[in-house]
Amino acid sequence: MKDVAVLGVGMYRFGMWSDVTNATMARAAGMGALRDAGLSFRDMQAAYVGHMFAPVMTGVRVMKEFGLTGLPVQHIENASATGSAAFREACLAVAHGVYDVVMVLGFDKMTAMIQQNAQGTALENMEDAILPAAFFALWATRRMHERGMKPEHLARIGAKNFNNGALNPMSQRQADKPVTVEKVLGSRMVAWPLTTMMSCPIGDGAACAIVGRADLAKQLRPDRPVVKVVASTLQSERYARGHLFQGPVVGPAQMTIDSSRAVYEESGLGPKDLDLVQVHDAFAIEELEYYELLGLCEEGAAEACIERGEFELGGRVPVSTDGGLIARGHPGGPTGLAQIWETTLQLRGEAGKRQVENARVGLCHMMGGGSVCVIHILARD
Amino acid sequence: MTTASRLRVPIKPGFFTVPDDPNALPKFLATRCESCSEYFYPRRAICAQCLSEQTVDVELDGRGTLYSYTFVHIPLFGSTNIEHMDGYGVGQIDLPEGPRIQAPLAGKQAEFKIGQQLVAELDTLREDGGRDLVIVRFRPVEAAR
Repeated sequence: MKDVAVLGVGMYRFGMWSDVTNATMARAAGMGALRDAGLSFRDMQAAYVGHMFAPVMTGVRVMKEFGLTGLPVQHIENASATGSAAFREACLAVAHGVYDVVMVLGFDKMTAMIQQNAQGTALENMEDAILPAAFFALWATRRMHERGMKPEHLARIGAKNFNNGALNPMSQRQADKPVTVEKVLGSRMVAWPLTTMMSCPIGDGAACAIVGRADLAKQLRPDRPVVKVVASTLQSERYARGHLFQGPVVGPAQMTIDSSRAVYEESGLGPKDLDLVQVHDAFAIEELEYYELLGLCEEGAAEACIERGEFELGGRVPVSTDGGLIARGHPGGPTGLAQIWETTLQLRGEAGKRQVENARVGLCHMMGGGSVCVIHILARD
Repeated sequence: MTTASRLRVPIKPGFFTVPDDPNALPKFLATRCESCSEYFYPRRAICAQCLSEQTVDVELDGRGTLYSYTFVHIPLFGSTNIEHMDGYGVGQIDLPEGPRIQAPLAGKQAEFKIGQQLVAELDTLREDGGRDLVIVRFRPVEAAR
C-alpha cells in the first residue's frame, strides 16, 4: 500500500441507542471525521458505506445527511468485517490513484434488529441452533483439552478489555470500578465456558475514517504526525479437512495465519515491530487464539503470556487498547472502523489515559462470518 | 421416545433422512468427489478441494467422534420441547469419512467428553399442523464418566 493515509477519524459512541437513528449517528461520526481531517464534505470524491443489519439503500440514503454532491457511493458488506472491508476498498482506490480523498462510513443498529426478531423468532434451519457464542465456546473447550487453558485465562482477557474500555470515552461498556477476574467468571454463563463478560454486547453506533493521499495529510494538518496505511489484506477460507460449511463460521486458524503473513510481507514489518494490536475479540477465546495466529507469541504460549500480562496496557504488546469488541462494543458495520479510530489516535499520541508510549505501528484484525479475515497495518510516518 | 404414529418432517429438507422406522438412525445427505474422493456435508455440486464437477450424492451414517462441545444456557429458539428450555448441548462431530458437523447434543454437559463416540437421532422441535418438525442431534453412545 503506497502513500495512503488516514486523514481523519470520528465516532458516535457505541451503545444501546434505541431512540437514535442511523442517520443521526452516522452524521455525528462523519462530521467528526471531516473536522478532524480539516476537510469539508464537498472535498469527498467517493464514499464507501458499510452496514450489516439495515435494509437495502440505507447507505446511500444516510449519505444524504452530509449534502447531495453527486459523489459515487458504494455499499460494502462483509459481516463483522464490514467496516474493515469498506476501509480496504477506500485504501485501494486511493493507492491506485482513482481518488485523492474519500470517506469510509460504518453504522448499525442492532437494537432495531432485536426488536424485529422478537416478533417472530423461530428456528427455521438446523444451523440456526449454533449461536455465535456456542461456536466460539467450541473453540474454548477444544483449547482446554489441547493446551490446558482455564476459564481464568479468558476471564483475564475479559477483565483487561473492560478496564481498557473504562479509559475510552467511546466505549460502550464503562465499568465504574476496576473489573476483576472473579467478576468476569461470576457473570452469567452464555455457552460454557463463555460468560457475558467474556462476550461482546449488542449495540448501536457509527464510525468514520477519511482516507486520502499521504502528502495531503501533512498539508492539511502540519501540526500532527501522519498515520499511513502500510498494508492491507482480505482473505477468504482455503479448504482443509474438517472445514465447517454450516453455522456462523469464522474461519479456520490458517486463514488468520495466512492473512497476517500477507500484511507482514507487504509492510516489511513483523509481529515484533507492533506497538499495539486490535483483534476481533467478539469472545475472549478469539483474542487468545489470535495472539498466536498473528505471531504475537509462540504457538501454545498464549496462556503463559496472559499470566504475565504481556497484552495489557503497559505490557509487551497491548491488545484491544480501546476495550475491544468486548467493552468498546460491536454493532457490526462500524466495528472495524472503531479499530482504525483507536489505532489512528494511538499513533498520533492522542489516546489519553490509554496511550501506548511512543506507539509507531499498530495492527487491526477483523473476522467476518462466512468467513473472511481483514488485516491492516497502520504506521506513524 | 418418539411416537411412531405421527408424521415426522425435517425442519428443512435436503440435509438428513427421516426413516419411517422410528428406531432407525437418520443418515446425512452428503457428497463424494469422484476425482479426489473427499466427502462433504452438506451436499454440493463442485468439489471444494479439487474443484471437480464429478460429484455424487451419498448418505453417511450418523455416527461420529466428538471434536468439541459446549452447553448453551439459552432455550433453543423455536422449540416447544420442554427438554430444550434449560438450554442445550452443541458439538462438532467428525464423521469417519471426513466431514465435521455442528449439531445440538442430547444430554447434560457432564455427559460430554472430547473423543467420545456419538450417534445421530431425530429430535422433535415443535408441532406443525399435526406433524412433528424434527432436527438431528447427536447423543453419546456411553455417557462420559
